[in-house]
Amino acid sequence: MSTSETEYLKGKANEDYEHGFYTDIEAETAPEGLTEDVVRYISHRKDEPQWLLDWRLKAFRHVRERIDGGETIDWAHLDYEAPKFDEISYFSAPKDKAQYESLDEVPDEILETFERLGIPLEEQKALTGVAVDAVMDSVSVATTFKEKLKEKGVIFKSFGEAARDHPEIVREYMGTVVPYTDNLYAALNSAVFSDGSFVYVPEGVTCPMELSTYFRINEAGTGQFERTLIVAEPGSYVSYLEGCTAPMRKENQLHAAVVELIAHEDAEIKYSTIQNWYPGDPDTGEGGVYNLVTKRGICKGDNSKISWTQLETGSAVTQKYPSVILAGDNSVGEFYSVAFTKGHQQADTGTKMQHIGKNTKSTIISKGISADVADNSYRGQVKVSKNADNARNFSQCDSMLLGPDCGAHTYPYIESNNPSAQIEHEATTSKVGEDQMFYCHQRGLGEEEALKLIVNGFCQEVLQELPMEFAVEAKELLDIELEGSVG
Amino acid sequence: MTTALDTDVRPEDRFISAFEVNHGQALNGTNASIAQQREDAIERFSQLGIPTNDLELWKYTNISKVIDRPYTLPLGPREASVEESDIAPLLVDDMDAHRVVLVNGRVDESLSDIGELPSGVVVSSLAQAGKDHPNLVEEHYGKYADFEDEALTALNTAFVQDGAFVYVPSGTIVEKPIFFLHVTASDEDLFLQPRHLFVVEDGAIARIVEKQYSLTDANTFTNTVGEVFVGEKGNLDHYLIQDEGPSASQVHTRAAQQKEDSVYSTKTVTFSGEVVRNNATIEADGSFCESNLFGLCIGQNEMHVDNHTRMDHVQPDCNSNELYKHVLNDASTAVFNGKVFVSRGSQRIDAYQQNDTIVLTKDAQIYTKPELEIYADDVVCSHGATTGQMDEDAIFYLRSRGLSERRARILMLQAFCEEVLEELAVDPLRDEVTDQIRTRFGGYFD
Repeated sequence: MSTSETEYLKGKANEDYEHGFYTDIEAETAPEGLTEDVVRYISHRKDEPQWLLDWRLKAFRHVRERIDGGETIDWAHLDYEAPKFDEISYFSAPKDKAQYESLDEVPDEILETFERLGIPLEEQKALTGVAVDAVMDSVSVATTFKEKLKEKGVIFKSFGEAARDHPEIVREYMGTVVPYTDNLYAALNSAVFSDGSFVYVPEGVTCPMELSTYFRINEAGTGQFERTLIVAEPGSYVSYLEGCTAPMRKENQLHAAVVELIAHEDAEIKYSTIQNWYPGDPDTGEGGVYNLVTKRGICKGDNSKISWTQLETGSAVTQKYPSVILAGDNSVGEFYSVAFTKGHQQADTGTKMQHIGKNTKSTIISKGISADVADNSYRGQVKVSKNADNARNFSQCDSMLLGPDCGAHTYPYIESNNPSAQIEHEATTSKVGEDQMFYCHQRGLGEEEALKLIVNGFCQEVLQELPMEFAVEAKELLDIELEGSVG
Repeated sequence: MTTALDTDVRPEDRFISAFEVNHGQALNGTNASIAQQREDAIERFSQLGIPTNDLELWKYTNISKVIDRPYTLPLGPREASVEESDIAPLLVDDMDAHRVVLVNGRVDESLSDIGELPSGVVVSSLAQAGKDHPNLVEEHYGKYADFEDEALTALNTAFVQDGAFVYVPSGTIVEKPIFFLHVTASDEDLFLQPRHLFVVEDGAIARIVEKQYSLTDANTFTNTVGEVFVGEKGNLDHYLIQDEGPSASQVHTRAAQQKEDSVYSTKTVTFSGEVVRNNATIEADGSFCESNLFGLCIGQNEMHVDNHTRMDHVQPDCNSNELYKHVLNDASTAVFNGKVFVSRGSQRIDAYQQNDTIVLTKDAQIYTKPELEIYADDVVCSHGATTGQMDEDAIFYLRSRGLSERRARILMLQAFCEEVLEELAVDPLRDEVTDQIRTRFGGYFD
């Protein structure tokens, strides 16, 4: 590589985290530690009904027991210090907590924050047709396009609001896909979840627009515990986008979200994520977000479909396995993922496809890119139960290594208990081909341009699954990531 | 001397107390370092305990249920009445080989027919080698099978007594295969722990064929550890045919180390067994090594076969191939867990891993986990796994050519196995295995 290019790359690598700034909004923060009082405080602050508080307390007792029992999650290919659950503050909310009628009432600071993140609400409203339910440190501050959704009968609210306004639906589905006993972090979330989104699409309705929520971690020392619940009634369709950035922080921030998707007969849910949280100091790996998320969907009805698409470029530690339980006959599960790790980032991500119904199909496409001293693991499970006749799975997990010191690992688990199941898994690990680079050079592309092209091509299969607006953003994000890490 | 294992206590404690009772006796612990290693090993075994399903490496194989039985642990040579006529049907037709028969883990000279070996080549029992070639044994023994994380390797090391030994000196070619026939024969339930050591020095070439049979219906458990060393430019082709019947369980650990420019191939065919766990590890400790791991499992009845492999690339410029195939009938279960590990700095590695399974019945199960763990960027590593049935289009094609459905299916299964069978480079052995598979498939689809 020429000296000027090397210098350019070095410069890029030293660039500050683009989204690393801190919004100065006065916030109220719960005292540190995980106690029954904190749970009650959160519930009280959010004005929750008794049944929800009871549910939280049940989860709290469970998680307290597990933490006191010394439980840790150490089976993943990750090396980080377990979060100190008693030193975390479990709730913070912007102080100006009014229910805004229009965008004008939202404090300017918040609007500015979103603008710097590249999501001007006004513009989006006018141009893209995306309704944004903005979550700023756990409390919903603006919801747009409510009217239009109302017309169709689609409910798109913050979780807290939904619990108050539609308790019957929330109660019916909450915790049915990810029970509070599922794992340590899901249990923690169930006890102290701050807010999140709730979507309900009635029978036969195709949601008129893509629903989008931007999460943002903001206050020092607070974990954020979203809880998302999406229910798609028979014959409905919804596409949900989730994107995140976080400001620069020194201490580790814990993010333990729970996402539950329920698709009834003939319904389809498409869930897309871009995650670009603070990855920690590139030289030491200090700071950075711990992204430990439980995402699971159930294809409850026949002919239903759930599709997960994710682009993971941020966080110091990422551990998430968006999964699909294929319970209904002819149901379909999909998982498309690009995970990019550089610096000291570590990712252990993948999926779980559980085939239970007959003629169920699943597709897994996972692309891992690793640079610097980062570690990137794919861990996935395909399970075919005894009665899942004619189950079909195709998995492809490719890894690309951009440097001699990074690691790429693949841990696929395939369990088949049915003779008619067809399961295919393939994985490759390699670096960017010298012949590919040579071809690009010969066509007049510089090192970096060529690399961007090749990596983008490598990820194409996944990126094309993202909704249009997201796909553009994703491609740019990937380019920026590459600029800072390739040498 | 024997020790009946006390079944009232924890299975681990049975072995530990048996070790203490027979402390310092019976074994070929003439060498101080081997004696010390035995002490360390029993200590490590007591720390690790018998593996449970909670351990990732034993997730799908419940070994404690077959270990927790009232076995007798033989701690010294035992008389077993095995006649020439007993072993005759177990030999490979037309295979001209240097034959060694081991009964219950010990070489039986009267049944063996080693014949004439090239000069300098040693084929004997490990105990004999310990006496005749102590330096050789000490140089290699206990160096490749690490018991730090493997309780059963630790257990074997603690109770080491005897087994097979091969030494092929530098530049020597052993034309005929060296054939070890392992038979178990006893009216009692036996817990056996043979220990083998195969050393192929620089530039030497050899083929070793091991076959395992049982002549008894009693429950037996064989915990084998075999260590293999292949020197620079050496070449060892190593076979294992397992057909011990439904009352025999085993853990078979094969740990190999290769030096620069060498070739080592391990090829395993499993026909029967109650619970069979094979650990095959290869460390390519030199550049330009070629390593091959092939396996075939024809599952029937309730048998449970677990092939666990680890390919360690710790030096650059090597390549490895791995292919395991399963055909599962009845209520058989197969587990495949292969790991390709490429350490930091081991550039220019080509590593391939493939596991294919055909599941024939509703009660058969397959758990497969082909893993890659890679810390170097200039590598080409890939793995694949498929499980499924036969291609119905292909069946249809064959039927349109006049084959009955049953014939078509059997033919397809044979073709499926062929990819592994063609790696069996000892012709008489391949013919025998092929015939046995054909006979087995002949009973299918009735």
